[in-house]
Order: sequence, then structure tokens, then C-alpha cells
Amino acid sequence: MSVFMDLNLVYSPDSSRLQRLVETAAHLGYSTVAINYVYEPTAKKKQDIPAPKPIKDLIPELPIVQGRSRPIRVLNRLTVMMSDSSHFRATAAEYRGFDLLAVQPTTEKLFHAACMICDVDIICISVTEKLPFFFKRAPVNGATERGVVFEVSYAAALRDSTRRRYTIANSTALMESCRGRNVILSSAAETPLELRGPYDITNLGVLFGLSDGDSKDAVSSSCRSVVLHAETRKTASGIIYTVQHPEAPPTKTPGDTGDPPAAKRAKPGAVIDS
Amino acid sequence: MVRVKSRYLLCEINVTDRTRLLLLDDRAVAAAVRAAVARMHGDYGAALCSIRFSVKYLNAHTGIVFLRFPKRCYRLLWSALPFITCIETRGQKIPCFLNCLHVGGTIRTCQKFLIRYNTQQLHRMIPKCKNEEEKQEIQKAILNCTLTRGNKVAFEDELESEKDDDDDEEEEEEEEEEEEEEGE
Repeated sequence: MSVFMDLNLVYSPDSSRLQRLVETAAHLGYSTVAINYVYEPTAKKKQDIPAPKPIKDLIPELPIVQGRSRPIRVLNRLTVMMSDSSHFRATAAEYRGFDLLAVQPTTEKLFHAACMICDVDIICISVTEKLPFFFKRAPVNGATERGVVFEVSYAAALRDSTRRRYTIANSTALMESCRGRNVILSSAAETPLELRGPYDITNLGVLFGLSDGDSKDAVSSSCRSVVLHAETRKTASGIIYTVQHPEAPPTKTPGDTGDPPAAKRAKPGAVIDS
Repeated sequence: MVRVKSRYLLCEINVTDRTRLLLLDDRAVAAAVRAAVARMHGDYGAALCSIRFSVKYLNAHTGIVFLRFPKRCYRLLWSALPFITCIETRGQKIPCFLNCLHVGGTIRTCQKFLIRYNTQQLHRMIPKCKNEEEKQEIQKAILNCTLTRGNKVAFEDELESEKDDDDDEEEEEEEEEEEEEEGE
């Protein structure tokens, strides 16, 4: 049983709009969504990397997912628009606050670097302009092996005809080189009306050059593997991780607590036996 | 006897302002679908869409709509549905989107699914109730959500669905819908 995910909801400072977006996503049956913060470094002036807001502040009460009984899961995601190799700093402390990390390379060289070297989860494919470079097999295969996925977002295609053409053209070009594997489809929706249901997206994948099975994976299992990949990025192969404790724990001697430790407690069963 | 095969898409029309749903009629929905198909797939799509496409049922209260497509090309026509951004009716544009809930081979399977889906919606409504009366009313409505009322045999004869066999459903849906309106 696969669950549907939409890993790109555009962040807006207007929290009521964001809340409506998440509610609509839950109504459509997405069990995980990611709020996307876009960071576009420019050469002229220095910008700060946006800091993720805690989910609790943004959405006080998480809506229940359609057809399930548990609330929707909301992640944070950062997308770095990469137009120069210095824009992505692998060790930046700011990146650690985000659950998912994505880059959108604009030149072939950067695309190669993003696929082979950069420690990211998602590589966004530009859908609003004609593709400035070809997708070569070597970097695409490298990315597939590392578990990095390519993202095609469909909200731009809904807006007007030219962008729709670019979206379809760029995504079919991508599918030719990656053969449908490691692709996710996401919305990049700014308003609730730009979201679409998961089954519609599965069928939409056919237009984007995906096969039936691959397009289903593109909204479900590939997304799940990205989320897991993101967890391993933060930790040592997903096994160990370190957190800084906010303050030293209050020192307590064992005698303070009323209950003795579990090992020393008399077993109720043993008493009855004897 | 070989039957002419179709696919029935059970779609939900999502809008921001629910009162505007009442303006919809099936002709407007059909026109919006045709326009979207023509925009996406050109003359070829428009031609396919003109054969056996029809809007079988529209519930303006919940925004549920049944679309019938020929089985051969329903995937192509379906792929145009996400590109509907608004429906024009009575000189007004209603911004909305279609969300496909179920694809069925007969209208009866869609109906079964719809009743289950509406029951689910009622269940989702219970935590939002403000007082005890509303809650009880919804619970009563949930118990009323059954398909068979002695007309099961009649239904199975009508699987061909060339006729308008939605009357029975409508009654049932209507009942549920009233409850839903109150719940909100």
C-alpha cells in the first residue's frame, strides 16, 4: 500500500493561505507534503538563507488525511537556485534545519556537479523556460545510483500554454535519459486551486513521457525514497545522529524518584507463582 | 450480445467558495471538458471526445460529477482533465479543479463507490460538529447510507446504462447531501 506525497508546496508568508493549501492536500489524499522555501542567491548582494518556520506555528492543527485516520505530515524543504557553483555550500549550517534539500541547476556544468557531487535529495528541472542544456546519460545515471531524484512540477503547466509546452518538452527530454526511474511529480502550487488529485497526476505522467507504473511511483514510492534519503543525509547512514542538547539535564539521584527502576521492581507474576 | 464499453469517471469539483457550486449545470461541465480536451489534444482529441462523451450525473450540492468516456481512449481524455482551471456558467467563471476519485466500468460500481465515499465524508464531519444535535443527525445519515432498497435486481438489468438510470441515486444522494449541508 503506497501513500501519496506532494513534496512541493510553495511557501508564502500568508499563513492562512498555506493552511488552506495543506487542508486541500489532505482532502485530496496526500499523506505527506513539503513546504518549499526558495533561495535564489544573486551576485550583487548577499541574501540570507531563509530559516524554516516550525510547522506548529504555521499550521496549528494538522488536518486528517482523506481515507486515513492520521494527520498529514508536513516537512520543510529548501530549493537553491544554482547559477554558480559557489551558491551551494555543502556544509552550511542553515541547510540542517530543512528536511529536504533541492537544487535547480541552470547550466550543464552545474547539472553535472549537482548529479555527481552535491549532497542533495532533489534536482529540480526547470519548467518555465526552454531547456538550456541536454540531459546527458552519465550524470543522470550517476544521480540515479546515488538515489537523487529529478523533480518535474506541474503547476506552471496549468497556467498558460507556452509553459505547458516547456513542461512537457523538458520532462520528455528528461525521461529519455533517465528512462522513467527516479522521477517525482510535484505540484509547486501557490494556491489551493493549483493542486490536483494523486490519480489525476498519475495519469498526467503519461503526457510527461512516463509509463503507467513509473508515473504511479512518481507520486508514491519515489517520494518515499526521497524522504528516506533525506533522513540518511542528516545522519550517518540513517543509523546514528547527534543532537545538541539545549541545556544540561537536571541532575537527579536515583533516590529522588518514588518508583524504583524497572529491573528492581518485583514482578507481579512471580509473586503469584511463589 | 456484446456491449459497447465505456469508462465512467467519478470526479469531484473542488472550489474555494462552496456556494458557487450551485450555479453549475451539466452542460457547463461538458463544455469545460470539451474545451480542455481540444486545448490539450487538438482536433484529434476533440474528435474522440465527440463520440460517446457525456456528463451522466451532476450533484451541484457536493460537486460530484460522472463523466462517460469511450473505453478505448479514456486515458487520453482523462489526461486533459487536470488542465481545467475554471468552468464558465451563466456568464460567470467559477475557478475550480476536477479531482478524479474513481474510474469504473459501469455506472453501478461508481455509484457504490460514491456512497462509500460520501459515508466517509460524513465520518470526517463528525469531529467538526458544534453541538450534540448535529452529531446525532450525521450519525443517523451514516446509518441511512445503503445502496439496496429492494431495487437491486432492477439495477443490475440496467448495467448497459444507455438510459438515464441515475434517478434512484439522486434520491439517495440528495438525502445525504442535506445532512452534509447542515454539518458544515
